[in-house]
Amino acid sequence: MSGSPSMPDSHTSLSPLKLIGLVVLFIALALLPFVWGNRFYISLITEIMIYGLLAMSLDVLLGYTGLLSFMHNAYLGIGAYVVGLFLIHVSPTSLWLACLVGVVFTGLVALPVGWIQVRTGGLAFALLTLAFGMMFYTIVWKWYGLTGGDDGLMGVPSPDIQLFGWSVGNTGNPAHMYLLTLFVVAIALILTRRIISSPFGAVLEAIRENEERAAFVGINVRRYKLFGWMLACVLAGTAGALYILCKGYIGPVTMSAFAGAGVLMMVLLGGLGTLWGPIVGAGIFIYIQDYISTMTEHWEIFLGIVVIFLVLFMPTGFVGLGNFFKRLRKD
Amino acid sequence: MSGIATAVDITLNSLVLGGVFLIVAVGLNIIYGLSRVMNLAHGSLYAIGAYTGYTIVSLGVNFFVALLLAPIIVGIIGLIIERIVIAPMRKRSMIYTLILTYGLMFFLDGLIKYVWGNEPRFVAIPAFMRETISIFGTHYPVFRLTTLVTTAAVMIGLMLFLNKTRIGMILKAASTIPEMVSCLGFNMNYIHIGAFILGCALAGVAGIVAGPLTTIDPLMGHEMLISSFVVIVIGGLGSLRGAVFAALLIGLVQTLAEFFITDLAMVIVYMMMAVILAFMPRGLFGEGKFE
Amino acid sequence: MNAFLCTDNLCRHFGGVMATNRLCIEFEKTGLRSIIGPNGAGKTTFINIITGRIPASSGKVHFQGAEITNKPTHELVKLGICRTFQITSIFNNLTVFENVRIAKQANSGGSLRIFSTKKSLKKVACDTWVILERLGLKDLAGLPAKNMSYGDQRILEVAIALAGDPEILFLDEPTAGMSPAETKHISDLIKGLSKEISIVLVEHDMDMVMRISDKITVLHYGSIIAEGAPEEIRTNQLVREAYLGKDT
Repeated sequence: MSGSPSMPDSHTSLSPLKLIGLVVLFIALALLPFVWGNRFYISLITEIMIYGLLAMSLDVLLGYTGLLSFMHNAYLGIGAYVVGLFLIHVSPTSLWLACLVGVVFTGLVALPVGWIQVRTGGLAFALLTLAFGMMFYTIVWKWYGLTGGDDGLMGVPSPDIQLFGWSVGNTGNPAHMYLLTLFVVAIALILTRRIISSPFGAVLEAIRENEERAAFVGINVRRYKLFGWMLACVLAGTAGALYILCKGYIGPVTMSAFAGAGVLMMVLLGGLGTLWGPIVGAGIFIYIQDYISTMTEHWEIFLGIVVIFLVLFMPTGFVGLGNFFKRLRKD
Repeated sequence: MSGIATAVDITLNSLVLGGVFLIVAVGLNIIYGLSRVMNLAHGSLYAIGAYTGYTIVSLGVNFFVALLLAPIIVGIIGLIIERIVIAPMRKRSMIYTLILTYGLMFFLDGLIKYVWGNEPRFVAIPAFMRETISIFGTHYPVFRLTTLVTTAAVMIGLMLFLNKTRIGMILKAASTIPEMVSCLGFNMNYIHIGAFILGCALAGVAGIVAGPLTTIDPLMGHEMLISSFVVIVIGGLGSLRGAVFAALLIGLVQTLAEFFITDLAMVIVYMMMAVILAFMPRGLFGEGKFE
Repeated sequence: MNAFLCTDNLCRHFGGVMATNRLCIEFEKTGLRSIIGPNGAGKTTFINIITGRIPASSGKVHFQGAEITNKPTHELVKLGICRTFQITSIFNNLTVFENVRIAKQANSGGSLRIFSTKKSLKKVACDTWVILERLGLKDLAGLPAKNMSYGDQRILEVAIALAGDPEILFLDEPTAGMSPAETKHISDLIKGLSKEISIVLVEHDMDMVMRISDKITVLHYGSIIAEGAPEEIRTNQLVREAYLGKDT
């Protein structure tokens, strides 16, 4: 049927204009540290991108597969601790090897956890993410000898960034770390978008839309949920590797339930099922957090109210709000 | 201490702990069973129960009066929560309700810190409860026995309420066949509200009876929330029999783990949960689906 | 066990209620079989067991000589056992085209190609268009499924089921809530399909059942009370009693 009309997909591919816009944005972001020397803001943007990657990985799970993970930050934490421990105890200079070990280890931890979670069904899945998340939190908090307990993992060395045998920078330099993060996050975003718009992504969406129907068209629902979970956790582990390189430190607070709620809020702020929305959400969240937490110690109350408000009145996030205004203009 | 005394001690401790888990988990289960809302702020309501009890007692009111008042106050807070944020979510997907109650949990935790501060508090219990009595060679504190007796009484009372009273039987029927109950002319809306209040009040009871056992701090709700999830998931969602069994099991495992390895005790509990679920994904007594 | 699909003393009880009581039914390779019976006769329970939605309490199901009792749903679909639901079950936020394509894709492989585009599965897309064309949904292809009329949604669900290349297709009240014109459309469609594959129809619309069925099985309280061609069922005394009570 060569004469069939173009495919009526709900995802359209990027228009050339948008593509050019994104390339320009990327180049502008890449040039930023060369024209703007403020180390504090460069580091803040790096942190936003890292949390953006984490929020995007949660969006793969929540927005595309329809699975809720309350403590996705646990997998960022696992990746970060492993990379940090590797740099401290095994080899202080092998950046890429450390990252590889960190991401693979995160995947190896996520696999049995995910396997158990997908077998129990949707609601229990969500409850179990909280239980397992708390388990990992307890482990890093109480295993003082390995993780430094409450004090956190300190003294993580900053390795050089080696590319094809050349040293192009050092992770201890905020500008270098910023560029490394920008490239990794951009690659992760492109790959994830590609995966989401593949036939595999279509299966995940079918599961989100109607799990029972998905099973009755011949999809092994549990297996694909596990694949979606693994994808999300590996991306979170990648964010973790960047996190420890950027900060040189990680404490159990990063893995707490409260931090998990923050990640959830980033996704809600940005809009579910958009991938780039949560990255914007991370930016808004980290900016507000920086601003509010200096003003009030009751940041929890504020976070709670915003989450409740978002769910009640703005379930599609700022991206959805944008589409809403677009529709208003058209009418 | 002799071996027998230690064994008695551990048995009683695990019953006390399991009893508290059970009441919190049953409250969560009742709300879920009747209105399909999994309330993640349940642990915070438990903490509010404990703090309310603390405040009432420190105002000079008798502990046993506080035992009655605290659940009523938590129940009223439950009513307010239900009307303002839970009721508008009735027709929305489960995921959004979960996220909303998660936000509610942090809101309530923040409120607790705002009202009572970060420092741990201790309930001033009546003098006679601070004594110990000798059971098989162990000197067991009276306040722990009070907790045990209270939790047992609450559970028995709840059973009688659900099985012997008209309202209880309507509630039980509503959890299995809501359509039929609403056809018979009962307003499901009132049933949802009633279930929510009852569940919250149970969290309040658990909070005040658990208060004297530990220090009262803002994080006590988190731990209890996770423990009651573990109880519910292991026991099988919606199964009362499963909840009783799982609560006692976890009480025992946690007490033993704390006795032997202290620090990583909770990890043992989580590991046990993982192993049980790996073989029985629906929990020990779960028949129906989780969704 | 030479029949195409047959059940052997299949039972399912809910508490003390036998919803399916020692049922032995054989289905042919093609043709239209209707399962009828008063409300609560256990029709839906019966097809729920065969299609793997609920497990059997006891008894067996055989398909093409192999036992398939209590297999996971997705494996049954791969064997060619597909169904629709009494309450419409589709992918609401996907377009009509995507609804059918995902069903097609699930059965022709390629779901694990994580780096190719959806368009790369050309065969899947072609087959999807063929099905949409056949069911008259081609013009609606780009419409989100939730924006379709109720009748069209019912037809879409049949299209999704057909995309699984069924050898036997279970339709649970496909015409419930449809207008007479829509009912006519779907019954013609079902009749046409039954020349190629085995169709099992659970239906309350007696006119339609009598008109298009090749064979009818009547269930009452989970047991078979009659089986035969439409004329035989029409005149069967037990069936009249089951539907109308003893006195008529």
